[in-house]
Amino acid sequence: MPNGGCDPIGGLVEPGRVHRRVYADPDVFELEMERIFGRAWLFVGHTSQVPNPGDYFTTELGRQPVVLTRHRDGAVYVLFNRCTHRGAKVVNERCGHATRMTCLYHGWSYDTDGALVGVPMPEGCAADFRKEAFGLARVPRTGEYRGFVFASLAPRGPSFEDHIGPIKSNIDDLVDRAPDGMLAFDLGMHRYIFNGNWKLQVENVLDSYHVPFGHASTVNKDGVQFARREGDKSGAKVVEADQAKTAQSWKGRRSYIVGNGHGWTSNTALDDGKRSSAAFDDYKRVLVEKVGAARAQHILTPRLHNTLIYPNVSIMGLNIHVRVIKPLAVDRTEINVYPVRLVGAPNAMNFGNLRLLNVTHSAASFVQTDDIEAFVRTQKGLRCLAPEWVDISRGLGAEEPDRELNATRGSAMHEMVVRAQYKAWVGYMRERA
Amino acid sequence: MMEAAVPEPKRTATPVDRAVLEAFLFEEARLLDMRRFRDWMALFSDDGTYWVPATVDQKSPYDQVSLFFDDRDLMKTRIDRLEHPRIHIQTPPSRTAHLIGNVTVDETDDAKGHYVVSSTVIMVEYRDDQQRLFAGRQVHRLRRNGDGFLIAQKRVDLINCDSAFEAMAVPI
Repeated sequence: MPNGGCDPIGGLVEPGRVHRRVYADPDVFELEMERIFGRAWLFVGHTSQVPNPGDYFTTELGRQPVVLTRHRDGAVYVLFNRCTHRGAKVVNERCGHATRMTCLYHGWSYDTDGALVGVPMPEGCAADFRKEAFGLARVPRTGEYRGFVFASLAPRGPSFEDHIGPIKSNIDDLVDRAPDGMLAFDLGMHRYIFNGNWKLQVENVLDSYHVPFGHASTVNKDGVQFARREGDKSGAKVVEADQAKTAQSWKGRRSYIVGNGHGWTSNTALDDGKRSSAAFDDYKRVLVEKVGAARAQHILTPRLHNTLIYPNVSIMGLNIHVRVIKPLAVDRTEINVYPVRLVGAPNAMNFGNLRLLNVTHSAASFVQTDDIEAFVRTQKGLRCLAPEWVDISRGLGAEEPDRELNATRGSAMHEMVVRAQYKAWVGYMRERA
Repeated sequence: MMEAAVPEPKRTATPVDRAVLEAFLFEEARLLDMRRFRDWMALFSDDGTYWVPATVDQKSPYDQVSLFFDDRDLMKTRIDRLEHPRIHIQTPPSRTAHLIGNVTVDETDDAKGHYVVSSTVIMVEYRDDQQRLFAGRQVHRLRRNGDGFLIAQKRVDLINCDSAFEAMAVPI
């Protein structure tokens, strides 16, 4: 292990800085797969991806192929996607519908709860062979909140409630925007991939400091970004005439942390009074009809920009979507971006959101591509042996409690959220399984 | 909302039409390879769209994500950005070479001046020491405009449309 000694992991993270090996050392990555992705509560998918009995959806938890299924009794299962016979991956499609999941190799077939139901030429089975012992393995623990399905590959550890509790209201913030109080993940997904460590994306979702510089190409000559929400005529003013003024205008933006590595950043300043279009006005009318004017007003008042549910999922409140971070190797990461359909909202509103997500977070988008270039360039830079440390000290010591939100807050221009992520990282990494 | 589905081919055109339409496709590709993006945008009608689906046989851009689905407003934002000096994903810029082939004229309506042309596109992109390849089938819905044409819709179905892509900055 890096550094050796009695505390090899603790030596990689110090107050205000992390060692470059955290991003660049394949041994650290292997340990992350075991100690973080091997036991943390990970986002798997959404129940709307398997709406009907027999529906399935395949994904990976860390490097583990899993399949999310809907059984006849309505229950949702997360199963290891591996034939219990000789080991082939059973379900090869990304999603679909089947009454049985049949292995291509020798034809063993499984029910949608994982039970082994068919073995060709059963007379050849060993005398003590019991089908009941050969069902697809279930992941040790699962949990669900408002359709968001999480799983832990460890049989023991903090409960789902302990993990998700402090960040539940951020999920509510998104789900409540649907007039029917439900989301559907049925608008496809964007996939992008880059030569960089997974934590570069994790850190980026709550990094507001990079926006005025990193996304300079998305603003016009007046420093105003393109319109990113249905109903907006233009986007936020991101860059002012000079740096001092830019700093001033970003001062009000805040970040929040609530433990477990979770956190969020406050909303983008937009003129909500002027937000109007045929699609948005129609959506607003439907929402008011369903939940009443006061509640609708609350729901439509932006509070959150990005939320991170550590370690593998983020929720964006501006270009509404859910983003899943999939580490592939120490320097290779895939991201899945799910637009969310607000169930009960007019189609035109859902299309308005989709249209803009195409240009903010697809592989060919205006916003995400500059971030990807930053990730790739960072991974290249971190090959350098000197300096050994990555600085994350902005605002160190300036955190303050927010009693109303039961959180700790700091300036969004600071790096409190990154430090909180590394606190959680060390917690996972230090502890032996 | 406009109809986005691509009709089944009806092969009724004469070879002469094909050569003219083919020349238009070559010129469009040349503008992209020369990074004359604003001139490229001018080939589109005011209601024109540029669509690169993200799923195989995608029926509509309105209920599924797309790699690109630009109307003129979004196309303009994209091109403003491509011309911005601090577009990091184009520092250094992409160099591309398009090859357009297997051109077929699927529909002609001389009275209305409407044409549907299919072709195979291969684009090689080189940037920052890396070269990659895009390939697929494209369909142009064209409208006669004086001596030339305007693009009402360009749809590019990449053979790997549903894969995970490294960042893309320039249109196919």
